Amino acid sequence: MSVVTVVRRAVLWVPDWPAVAAMTEAGLGADAPAAVLHGRGLVAVSAAARAAGVRRGSTRRLAQRVCPELAILPYDEGRDSRLFEAVAAAAEQAVSGVEISRPGLMIVPSDGASRFHGSEEALAEALVSAVAEHAGVECAVGAADGLLAAVLAARSSELVPSGASRDYLAPAPIGSLALAAMERVQREEVERLTSVLTRLGIATLGDLAALPFGDVLARFGPVGVWAHRLASGEDLAPPVLRRSEEDIAVEHVFEDPAERIEQLVHIAKEAAAALDRALLDAGVRCGRVRITARTEKGQELERVWRTDVGTRAGAFARHMTDRVRWQLEGWLSGTAGSSDGGKGPEPSPLVSLGLVAEDVVPLGAEQSYLWGGVSGADSRAHRALERVQGLLGLEGVLAVAEQGGRSPRDRALLAPWGQEAPPARAIAHPWPGRIPDPPPATVPPVARPALVLDAGGSPVTISRRLAISAPPTWVRLEADASDERARAANRHPSEGHVGRVVGPVWDRPRPVESWAGPWPVSERWWSEDASRRAYVQVALRDGEDAVTAVLLAYGGGEWALEAVYD
Amino acid sequence: METAEARLARAREALAGVQRRVGTTRDRWEAPTLPLAPVLDQVLPQGLRRGQVVSVVGSTSLMLALAAAASESGSWTAAVGMPSLGVVAAARRGLDLARVALMPHPGAQAAAVAGACVDGMDVVLLGPRLALSDADRRRLASRARERGSVIVAEGPWSGAHASLTAVGSRWHGLGAGDGRLRGRELVVRVEERRGGLARMVTLPIEVDSSLRRGAPALAPVRSLGGAA
Repeated sequence: MSVVTVVRRAVLWVPDWPAVAAMTEAGLGADAPAAVLHGRGLVAVSAAARAAGVRRGSTRRLAQRVCPELAILPYDEGRDSRLFEAVAAAAEQAVSGVEISRPGLMIVPSDGASRFHGSEEALAEALVSAVAEHAGVECAVGAADGLLAAVLAARSSELVPSGASRDYLAPAPIGSLALAAMERVQREEVERLTSVLTRLGIATLGDLAALPFGDVLARFGPVGVWAHRLASGEDLAPPVLRRSEEDIAVEHVFEDPAERIEQLVHIAKEAAAALDRALLDAGVRCGRVRITARTEKGQELERVWRTDVGTRAGAFARHMTDRVRWQLEGWLSGTAGSSDGGKGPEPSPLVSLGLVAEDVVPLGAEQSYLWGGVSGADSRAHRALERVQGLLGLEGVLAVAEQGGRSPRDRALLAPWGQEAPPARAIAHPWPGRIPDPPPATVPPVARPALVLDAGGSPVTISRRLAISAPPTWVRLEADASDERARAANRHPSEGHVGRVVGPVWDRPRPVESWAGPWPVSERWWSEDASRRAYVQVALRDGEDAVTAVLLAYGGGEWALEAVYD
Repeated sequence: METAEARLARAREALAGVQRRVGTTRDRWEAPTLPLAPVLDQVLPQGLRRGQVVSVVGSTSLMLALAAAASESGSWTAAVGMPSLGVVAAARRGLDLARVALMPHPGAQAAAVAGACVDGMDVVLLGPRLALSDADRRRLASRARERGSVIVAEGPWSGAHASLTAVGSRWHGLGAGDGRLRGRELVVRVEERRGGLARMVTLPIEVDSSLRRGAPALAPVRSLGGAA
């Protein structure tokens, strides 16, 4: 193992960062009691809430009992890291480079910076005041040799003298190791390790550091080595500093507001070429391009396009020209929906156009495919899909994936094409009660009403104990909307209607040939979208030789058509 | 009593069968084909030609089956105006979902969307309630011919190269309150624009996976139907 020289570092720590970030976004004041809920427990608690007795890890109900005015905010990792950028930018007013180890914690190599500011005290003061002034967040700064000592020092705003890290760490409880774990997976691993160590009677970091290195490696493997080195005040890797870079952007203001695409074709081409040049000058390429425009009425339009074309031979400029043109076309005609899922903007003349390169990576750093590049058919299909997205808006084109679930509808995962999909439920989980294969080819986006009748014509019910009141004999589905005859038949007095028909228009009753079920599925009883249903597979006789199989669900006293095996 | 026409059709069938078996079909040079699932051999003996329009009535499974083998071998598939397409069924049929895009509600832009899809995708599935005029359909068909993509349209399509109508369907495995859907035989009427006669083809479109091993698949039964 390579030995890394111990780097003296200053750590800037914002207490309860997830709570602070959530409160900033929710517009709450810093002294409001708030907590961030993830899963079943609170993951972060604001200072005011802590003073009221709310603890990290407690349940929502417990927290609300001790502090009824507590604001419970959702957990969002993306928000945490996004808002921390502002804090990092503020810290960069005082020092030249920082490493963000995780949202809420950042590392500054202390040697150079403290020489610049005169002393470590001055550096700490400069950091705290810069962050308070520019980001409006309170933070604590500590400095020590080695990662873990510096993190612990920051939590108590201490400056540990050089060379004293080992002694400083020795009395700390073994659980402090988790503070140096920067990713969630790593943290779980470390928590497992510390629970084993506690049971072995190793309660402090000093105890762990006193153990022979070889024995720790033999017993605990790489995690043990990691913990041992940290507990001894050593370092694992030097800090990786981020370089702050200017956005690569192109802005174009039109002399006259543009109403027709013909006026803009040339501008789209020029803007794309200018962005291409700017990227080449900076020696980078980008993974996404944000296209923004302002309308005459002051509305800001914005859309992000993914791009994977290299910068060679002007291909990027051509590619972007098309995208910009389609996007502008969509905005001008009012057919492209806004990116937040609402209605499209009103068609209105555009006054400015901007292109911003995102996901910027140095040229040559991009990964190519293992076996050759993208095939011609793939890029052709991507172009077609992006064209359709320009016509229908982002949500008009969906990518599909299969995910775990019980009913056929739950097993499909749809997300706008080109956007990062929400995480899928694992297919490999057992999903007891899953409707058996074959899967149905038609699954309406929402369940349609249906009627299931017994031989006497009265509705079939299923009791809570899954007793079916009578074998289903007739099934009536919703009639096709264009079926005038069914509509007329529904209006007939023999159907029991007087006057206007409300509710679904029923098709003629179809005899049940065979059926199977009921199969109970009770899902998510702990949440608001709980459902308790019984599924029945029914084969309906349509004609002499034609049988249609359908999947029906019974829940809350109503039958619904879940899927058709057509 | 067989009519001369029926005898001729049967002779053509036999010849086509031999050509298929030997692997030298007269039509090979005509147009490149997309791969087709073996279960559909009897439905489209000459394969899924690029540039064709196939209309399917009454069975979404059949549409998916038509697109499956091509998608598996790297083709792209778009489904326009099919909001209730069963995603899991598509995956089980063999479509590669990474290369499938859905445009469930094209609305008034149906013609433009379908046109863009025909330009860029290999197989385009069109739903039944699209705002397409007859002129739009003709334009789409000629664009598909030019681009070499295949349109599989749900519902009738005048001028389709092949029209497949699910006329009968039989399910196995359900009882009276017990069992589950297992196997399915679909009877399809095949009318080809060139072929003259309508054929009835029975295909085992759903075979229970637990039975698929061991017992060989049901041999498709063919009979000659009336004139198209």
